[in-house]
Amino acid sequence: MSNQFEVDNGRRNVVKALGGLAAGTLLPAPWVHAAPNTIKIGYVSPQTGPLAVFAEPDAFTLGEMKKALAGGIKVGGKTYAVEFVVKDSQSNSNRAADATSELILKDKVNIVVAGSTPATTNPVADQCELNGVPCVTNDTPWQPHFFGRGGNPKTGFEWTYHFFWGLEDVIGVFTSLWGQLPTNKVVGALFPNDSDGNAWGDAKLGFPPVLAQKGFKLVDKGRFQSPADDFSAYIAEFKKNNVEIVTGVLPPPDFANFWAQAGQQGFKPKIVTAAKATEFPAAVQSFGPRANGLSVEVWWSPVHPFSSSLTGVSSAQLAAAYTQATGRPWAMPLAFKHSLFEVAIDALKRAADLKPESIRNAIRDTNLNTIVGPVNFRKGPVPNVAKTPLVGGQWKKTAKGFELVVVENSLAPAVPVKDKFEVIKA
Amino acid sequence: MTISAPTVERSTRASLAGSVVGLAVLAAIIAAPWWAERASQRLLIEFLYTLALAQMWNLLAGYGGLLSVGQQGFVGLGGYCLVVLGLQMGLNPFLIVPLAGVVTAIVAVPTGALLFRLRGAYFAVSTWVVAEVLRLLVANTASVGGGSGTSITQTVRGIPAWWRESTTLWIALALGAGATLAVYFLLRSRHGLALTAVRDSEAAAESLGVSVDRVKWYVYLASAAGCGMAGALIFITKLRIAPEAAFSLDWTATMFFIVIIGGIGTIEGPIVGALIYFVLRELLSDYGSGYMIVLGGVAVVFMLWIPRGVWGLISSRLDLHFFPVQRRVRNLDDKEMRS
Repeated sequence: MSNQFEVDNGRRNVVKALGGLAAGTLLPAPWVHAAPNTIKIGYVSPQTGPLAVFAEPDAFTLGEMKKALAGGIKVGGKTYAVEFVVKDSQSNSNRAADATSELILKDKVNIVVAGSTPATTNPVADQCELNGVPCVTNDTPWQPHFFGRGGNPKTGFEWTYHFFWGLEDVIGVFTSLWGQLPTNKVVGALFPNDSDGNAWGDAKLGFPPVLAQKGFKLVDKGRFQSPADDFSAYIAEFKKNNVEIVTGVLPPPDFANFWAQAGQQGFKPKIVTAAKATEFPAAVQSFGPRANGLSVEVWWSPVHPFSSSLTGVSSAQLAAAYTQATGRPWAMPLAFKHSLFEVAIDALKRAADLKPESIRNAIRDTNLNTIVGPVNFRKGPVPNVAKTPLVGGQWKKTAKGFELVVVENSLAPAVPVKDKFEVIKA
Repeated sequence: MTISAPTVERSTRASLAGSVVGLAVLAAIIAAPWWAERASQRLLIEFLYTLALAQMWNLLAGYGGLLSVGQQGFVGLGGYCLVVLGLQMGLNPFLIVPLAGVVTAIVAVPTGALLFRLRGAYFAVSTWVVAEVLRLLVANTASVGGGSGTSITQTVRGIPAWWRESTTLWIALALGAGATLAVYFLLRSRHGLALTAVRDSEAAAESLGVSVDRVKWYVYLASAAGCGMAGALIFITKLRIAPEAAFSLDWTATMFFIVIIGGIGTIEGPIVGALIYFVLRELLSDYGSGYMIVLGGVAVVFMLWIPRGVWGLISSRLDLHFFPVQRRVRNLDDKEMRS
């Protein structure tokens, strides 16, 4: 009999302990709510996973923001402290949606900002749109972001705003770049089956119609499934059609495979302009001497004649401060991360109060000169979208390694050209 | 001293107490939209659909002996029902959840016919292959968004927030609790005996007249339908679907983890496992990839030293059964025997 009681006790304790542990961690703690004098900015970014290279400037940028906003900001005549709640999307759109939902429901942020490819900006903006939370995103060409979310060019979205360049810009930059050198105008395409690849290769909105109109012949073997490790079929097709220009928008590992195999199989294009893969110094250094002469679109560089509305630093100063603080060379996302917070803080300062509608209206009325150029959501190609300038650049070998130099500025003459565009010397 | 006649018991004191507590918990969750914050509701929804997935995998692997690493194929397919039936045909997203179960069960018929020709490791690998084939088919179908994926915000947009969140919670509860109870009643039924027999030894079960093939079919189709319904519900909450997210191996890895640490082949196991999984996740998810390493480490420790999982440990030490599926004979010299 006594044995029976002991057993019962044990059971009870186990059940209690399990229940207590579960309840303690799963139910929201009432004490985590923000102090009434704090504004919370939620930030979603791919800190881990294949897109992690986009998030490299995160720690530096957040540090700068905390310094700049140490005194708080004034909204509707009252001073608030600013708190950043940062979530990792793990480069995964499911996780990005969960992280945003947590920011909105659990952390109760006033505004959400996010950047880096459709895998981050689209799920984040979708959650904000449905839950009625103001949201600012960048670093995704506007078509995959706007149309990829089922946006209607007449009505747009209610809560979510986006600034970056579009396909028309990158097509303009690429073709102007290729027009600078004598070639046979045969272009080979490397478009993966993902948001970017499908948008760039789209028969109506993408590269094909514009290239045909400008007298280029496009060799497009169709979308490949990324990650891909064998590009022999593409290389054979390019050789057969005498391709002299290669373009595409592909992840760094895929491009590395293509470029290594092109070398092995004796395929020597005159121009290689690949977006995404060659945007980052770290990825480019890994190609070794074969990085020399690769070209890419440039959304921001230290020579861009813009400065921060928040800290006043110029593009050159921001790049130098980043290199000094981290020991790493500048990369384009650096300024875009910075500008994300510029736009958010500017909107908060102009908002009448902290109601979501007031913050949303302030974002809608944004007309700000940021470190990536002017941002104005009223002038966009479609509602809720603002465009930033785009130029073309080429990786050139210098004493300190490879450097991305601006060589084309037909769409943004304010950005100075620093060197001439050259054929790849293999 | 008189010996009373032995009786066969199918319930335990714990199961009676448990059913009272269980009913109270169910009632509390149904009423959650009136007392819980939206953040807690969200977490409950996630917990319940994860539990449903884990129960489905437990039914498949723990009872049917079918080790599948391709259940994400059905989760993804269920999710994509939202695109076809909701975005394109305009059906209410919540109506699509049961329909997704029907669609996935229908798709499971040809894949099952193929897979049941294989055994053991070949079966496991092939389930993954089937899931990958489904992913590639969807990724190459431009009308559902292809490799880019698509937002399904439009299907949910007209529904007021309160109703949207509450209905999602109630459906999640129906799936989570429904999956648990369905497994429970299945196992207590005549088919349950056949199922447990197949779990313990296929050859022995066959020799006793159990139609092993039929049992496997039931389990495989039920599990496909369950995963499909959960998949549709999952993407109602995520709002955006893309092939690599919908057909992610993560879904099956999560089911696997929960069932292994909770206790495979028990009904309580997935519940305990899901609780442990969520506690670990809430505590550790801010540590990035370190969190994945911890989860993997925990799973390995369990597989090596605690193969019966937390619930196996608890129930053998304390003789605790909230969902008794065994028959026990009582009053044989005050001892008990289990059938």
